[in-house]
Amino acid sequence: MNILETKNLYKIYDETSVPVHAVNGIDLVIKKGEFTAIVGPSGSGKTTLLNMIGGLDKPTKGEIIVNGVKIHDLSRRKMTDFRLKNIGFVFQAYNLIPVLTARENVEFIMHLQGRSKKERDERTENLLKAVGLGDRIEARPSKLSGGQQQRVAVSRAIASKPKFVLADEPTANLDSKSTENLLDMMEKLNKEEEITFIFSTHDQRVVKKARRVITVDDGKIVSDETRKTE
Amino acid sequence: MIWSIAWRNIWRNKLRSIIVLSAIAIGLFAGVFSTGFYKGMADMRVESGIKTEVSHIQVHKPDYTLNNEINLFLTGSDEMVKKINGMPEVAGASQRIKAECFFKTAHGTRGVRIIGVEPDREKQVTDIYDFVKEGDYLDGEHRIPRILVGQTLGEKLKLKIGSRIPVDIVDLHGNFSSRLYKVGGFYRTTNTGFDERNVFVTFDALKQQLSMPDDAAHEIAVYLSDNANLEEVYKKISSDYPNLDVQTWRDVSKELALVNDSMDQYMYIFVVIILLALCFGIINTMLMVVMERTKELGMLMAVGMHRTKVFLMIILESVFLSLSGGIIGIIIGYGVIKIFEKRPIELEMFKGFEQYGYASEVYTKLPLNMAFTMAALVFVLGIISAIYPAWKAIRLDPADAIRTD
Repeated sequence: MNILETKNLYKIYDETSVPVHAVNGIDLVIKKGEFTAIVGPSGSGKTTLLNMIGGLDKPTKGEIIVNGVKIHDLSRRKMTDFRLKNIGFVFQAYNLIPVLTARENVEFIMHLQGRSKKERDERTENLLKAVGLGDRIEARPSKLSGGQQQRVAVSRAIASKPKFVLADEPTANLDSKSTENLLDMMEKLNKEEEITFIFSTHDQRVVKKARRVITVDDGKIVSDETRKTE
Repeated sequence: MIWSIAWRNIWRNKLRSIIVLSAIAIGLFAGVFSTGFYKGMADMRVESGIKTEVSHIQVHKPDYTLNNEINLFLTGSDEMVKKINGMPEVAGASQRIKAECFFKTAHGTRGVRIIGVEPDREKQVTDIYDFVKEGDYLDGEHRIPRILVGQTLGEKLKLKIGSRIPVDIVDLHGNFSSRLYKVGGFYRTTNTGFDERNVFVTFDALKQQLSMPDDAAHEIAVYLSDNANLEEVYKKISSDYPNLDVQTWRDVSKELALVNDSMDQYMYIFVVIILLALCFGIINTMLMVVMERTKELGMLMAVGMHRTKVFLMIILESVFLSLSGGIIGIIIGYGVIKIFEKRPIELEMFKGFEQYGYASEVYTKLPLNMAFTMAALVFVLGIISAIYPAWKAIRLDPADAIRTD
């Protein structure tokens, strides 16, 4: 089942003066349950691609279809609603709300979705236990290590039951052990709960774990490799 | 949850928030205290103006107040006084004769207003007798009639108790009349201007000097038990004496009415100016908040928080910050006002106040509704101050904001 599809996707900056083709005609299909890494050198267009498929940026041309919905046509307000219900985000710098505890950070998304308190409480506790933070539920981000903060961020991203999770350089600020733990945890969630993950990364440890690696350069897909991991 | 986040966000930078909060608290304290101080001062001016100078209601012959012509007198005034005194809302009524006269002493000549009063009745209407600082009020019969002089005027003319003063007046028939009075006492009210302009003698003495007919007076002054009954009594007297000029203290003393009516507005303007000054401080703080949290605000919008909620969150932070400081300032200010409600603030060093009728002792006063109005203004301040920063916040592009360092 196609979760995400892009057709002839373009993003051109400064169209009037010297146009820069950040994304230059990308066709991409992501199926449910994929564990995909988008790689490429700096300036290759992977961040722009990620922004567009995450609904944070509009394409100059082409289509983005998420779960059957053409999101490139949505108004800003509808797009915000769409992101809230369908897309999970994990950021390089964790981006947790520092004044909230781990529990509240995870709960926050569900609160925005208007879920009941009972559902929020149950899901938050289950998620934080699943990522190994059952004993740190009431800790604020400042009291958590980088790895722990990123686990909270992953819990937050999947708390909303998204169609897929976009993770932008999620391991860039983590040490090796934390990276390994985080990737194991994400892989487990992917396999056990069939959560679709799309990474943008330079990190070879992430690339190694990915079952599909899409290489982008000059705004185009230069390779798309699907493989089996151990 | 937005409320909780907004409240907690205030305390992310404790030092900065405490500084802003303190500035708001000090500003509001200054606003509340000044309001209480000037409100107390104004109310005392109005109260003393009514009690000492004009009473609540005055009755005259039509046109008398235009030029104070002595031939425009009321007849049957004693009966009128008795009738008015019978009204339940009236604490006292008294008739007066008034004239402009020359006051000649070895140390100078002054034009003053001489007022003939019935001492017993006058005590129910004004409190001049309470302000006698030296000598006696106009009680008792004397061969040479007594005159009560303002202390300030007495000092300027170097008068003493027992000093004899010839008072020159043009009487009812247009004849020049000079009569000798003996200084019986000096009074000093909270209005030195009034003290310098007015001298008091007995009703009968002045009546004789002016050759006024019996049972005639220029003015009937009415003092009420409660100012709240002013309109009611005014209407009653006006309907009882439709051919006479009945005036409330508001008509008699425009200055008192102005003080009474405008002080609240002046004080609100003063408070609004303070709040405007604070507004810039809060705007600056909230702009810093937005700049510092660009990445976080970007994240919130990226994960699906609507811009209206982001806007509301910034507004709430500003409102919480303003209200916290504002309420502290208002409570402290109100507390200090309560202290000085019982214990006056001495303004002896500012003698000039008395020249304009303001007491040199001020009992502060602030109605609770004014304190609530100020709290409401602080609430509005919080909202207004946050509009621009909140607008800046929602103008952020989430994709760019997330990647801000």
